[in-house]
Amino acid sequence: MSGFAQNTFNGLVSGAFYALLALGLAVIFGMLRVVNFAHGAFYMLGAFGAYVLLSEAGVPFWAALVIMPVGLGLLGMALERAVIHRLTKLDPLYNFLLTFGLTLILQDLVKLRYGVQSSPYETPSLLSGSVDFGLFDFPTYRVFILGFAVLLCVAVWWVLTRTRIGMVVRAATERPDLTRAFGIDVGRWVTPVFGFGIGLAGLAGVLAAPMRAVNPLMGADLIIVVFAVVVIGGLGSIFGSVAAGFGIGLVQAWGEAYLSNFPLVSQTIVFVVMAGVLLWRPAGLFGREEAPA
Amino acid sequence: MLRIENLSAFYGEAQVLRDVSLEVSAGEVVTLVGRNGAGKSTLLRCVMGLHPGQRGTVELDGRDITRLAAHKRARLGLGWVPDDRGSYATLTVTENLTLPPTVGPDPWSLERVYEAFPALYTRRDSAATMLSGGEQQMLALARVLRMGARLLLCDEPTEGLSPLLVQQVGDLLREAKRHGVTVLLVEQNLHFATGVADRHYLLAEGRVAEAMDNSEVRSRERELLAYLGI
Amino acid sequence: MRRTMGVAAASAVVVLVAGCGGGGPQSSGDQKLTGDKIVLGVLNDQSGAYSELSGKNSVAAVEMAIADFTAKYGDKAVTTDITVETADHQNKPDVANSKAQEMYDRKGVDLILDVPTSSAALKVADVAKEKKKLYFNIGAATTDLTGKSCNKYTFHYAYDTYMLANGTGKTTTEQIGKNWYILYPNYAFGQDMEKSFSTAITAAGGTVVGKDGAPFPNTSGDFSTFLLKAPNLNPKPDVLGTMQAGAELVNVVKQYNEFKLRDKGVGLAVGLMFLTDIHSLTPAALAGTTYTDAWYWNFDAKNREFADRFQQKAGTRPTFAHAANYSAALQYLEAVQAAGTDDADAVVKGLEGKTVEDVFLRNGKIRAEDHRVVHDAYLAQVKPQSEVAEPWDYVKVLKTIPAAEAFRAPSADCKL
Repeated sequence: MSGFAQNTFNGLVSGAFYALLALGLAVIFGMLRVVNFAHGAFYMLGAFGAYVLLSEAGVPFWAALVIMPVGLGLLGMALERAVIHRLTKLDPLYNFLLTFGLTLILQDLVKLRYGVQSSPYETPSLLSGSVDFGLFDFPTYRVFILGFAVLLCVAVWWVLTRTRIGMVVRAATERPDLTRAFGIDVGRWVTPVFGFGIGLAGLAGVLAAPMRAVNPLMGADLIIVVFAVVVIGGLGSIFGSVAAGFGIGLVQAWGEAYLSNFPLVSQTIVFVVMAGVLLWRPAGLFGREEAPA
Repeated sequence: MLRIENLSAFYGEAQVLRDVSLEVSAGEVVTLVGRNGAGKSTLLRCVMGLHPGQRGTVELDGRDITRLAAHKRARLGLGWVPDDRGSYATLTVTENLTLPPTVGPDPWSLERVYEAFPALYTRRDSAATMLSGGEQQMLALARVLRMGARLLLCDEPTEGLSPLLVQQVGDLLREAKRHGVTVLLVEQNLHFATGVADRHYLLAEGRVAEAMDNSEVRSRERELLAYLGI
Repeated sequence: MRRTMGVAAASAVVVLVAGCGGGGPQSSGDQKLTGDKIVLGVLNDQSGAYSELSGKNSVAAVEMAIADFTAKYGDKAVTTDITVETADHQNKPDVANSKAQEMYDRKGVDLILDVPTSSAALKVADVAKEKKKLYFNIGAATTDLTGKSCNKYTFHYAYDTYMLANGTGKTTTEQIGKNWYILYPNYAFGQDMEKSFSTAITAAGGTVVGKDGAPFPNTSGDFSTFLLKAPNLNPKPDVLGTMQAGAELVNVVKQYNEFKLRDKGVGLAVGLMFLTDIHSLTPAALAGTTYTDAWYWNFDAKNREFADRFQQKAGTRPTFAHAANYSAALQYLEAVQAAGTDDADAVVKGLEGKTVEDVFLRNGKIRAEDHRVVHDAYLAQVKPQSEVAEPWDYVKVLKTIPAAEAFRAPSADCKL
């Protein structure tokens, strides 16, 4: 029983990363209709930035947790203005290719300067202990990540459903043209939303630094699963991406724990789930069919 | 108030509007009638600034707005009632109503909207797409009234509605007209059109074929109905 | 004027002879070296996961070997025209295959060195066999290079899965703990390592109380399911043996520490680890971890002298792969010097059965039966941070594993 609880907890922790990344992808896709392939690279930059800040300037984890998301968010906004913006009127494939190329550039720039070997990053001392849950104890840092991610998702949900900004973002995500016709400058919201999504990826990266290998390719593997998560949740569905993120984390953890005799199954379970969901509901669990133009 | 001159519109290679020129004066209700595919909806989208492939000029109050972005046109007082009613699934009924900013001198308050449409009030926290078709049509009209739009662009507001609701839409448009609101209306229902409108344009194959007044439409109703295929 | 003409004519003859002789090994007469020069080809990962543990710095090591060889023989050297060609195989078998062909056919390469990643290494062995050109593999772990895929022109130089498993599995079982939990990445290398380890552990009187194949690549980066399972097995394992490599190894170790398994009495043994891995994890994260090393830079004065020279050139301390590339290049040049020709068959004949001693090869012998290059190996343990006296000096050698025990006996699968 305690084993099950532990596996569930770990699944939720992995899921927290998926949820944060998928949430960013979902708001970006919703607002810009851009599948941001570079999302994994920004996650990597978040983790790497935390490492560089600590090792070269002595900036601690807690400061990095603020500096990196804000800094990367601003970088994302600049990027949106400089290039992505110019391609949004064309076939979505152009921006997909652009962000794919951007991923390679970012990875190689980091590689050039810091090499491919993973860089060390320690758990902040305040969180390095473990929390006793009676049946089992659990690393404090993981408890922190889970709590932090859930809090953040709730905050984003609150902003989206309870504020005027959130209402505008939802409307623009659902029907951009119609929303313009109602006097709302959708274009004005595109840049901050893109920056926000990138900031979330950077934040996930900083959170990952103490428990994952920090290297230029750390986002490349992860992003594939995150894409599957977004598809399962329903492209552009904000609630769906978060729910599917945590769900996939659980499915993976349970698969590894209870299907370890069938390694091929536990290895491909995410994509099996994705295929199943797409057959059952082509628009994803929480997605809607695109409204006609 | 609205002047369209030599307007042409394209979908890729296909031309759907050919040198359309027409005028709507302040306080008038004018309908566009025509067969399916005659270009009526495209004309409204061009006025709203939502159709990318166009040529010609659109003037509002003597100001050339041809190059103006859609959201800026809305802020000049254009109210858009799209043919699919434009309900947001991710917004509640109240949010659907309050999403657009107020743009005119005489906007309806939310209270007034709910007084006029009790059905919307009872469903105010539901997703707008959970409403019935008729209720969604009322929502679409209520939304532009709450904006205080001075020129309504209504795309077939009576389509698929029961006679009782058609009556209600008519009452609303007449009341709006009394308050000085101008309306450009796409309509297939000639009976309804002659009941609310002052003048009519017949669109055929992307051109203005004829301009008619109410009495002319009434006298040629049979012929027109046959032409429209109704 | 006359003199110039003469030189020009002589050059033309040389070019003509070289042109005719370049086509095959049948060249004879005074033409000892194809193209009158020796070209060494370093084919490895220059941008990916293995680019730091070997990569461009292995090219630097090969250049050191050339310099040392030239300095040693001076004008008695078979040639002073020795160059290095290098290519990035991106750890992809098909790229390795085409780059190897290009090296042998168009770049005039006499010997291909390194080639990490077993699948790529095996492809290059096929090319070497087909082209009848020499190939010293250093970076790959598969025992197939000296087993069913062995051939006359391929030598396996530094290490293999048997060496790693035998060294770590046997010695750790004898000296640290008998009960093992093995975690391996579920693909050819990991499965091979798991089998080799299980065999070595059982042979040494230990027990594998549990083993799990983790997804590969592990996209979630999370190994906590397995790490949580380990201390709860019955009997409780004394050692967690992880076969993960590179970034996955880093994930396992970070999470091993997060769950404080060492405090719970589960030690850590690593299947394959390079100095660069310890550097990126920091010795603090790995203190007490055992693994088998093919060579360690601060083992003795001789190694240290090499490491100092390497650091001057490359700016970092050498891994065993760097030292092995140096040694392999040097031993090849010595063999060409001894044979007086770069003809592959003649060089192979000179190499087979030869005993060798250099900075990397201690008690080294190039086995004629399967072309395994055997040498002493080392059971190493990562020092606690407090004992790290200088940068990169991260391990102490617990035991030297004699060359005769470090590698498996020649396999019956290998027919040269």
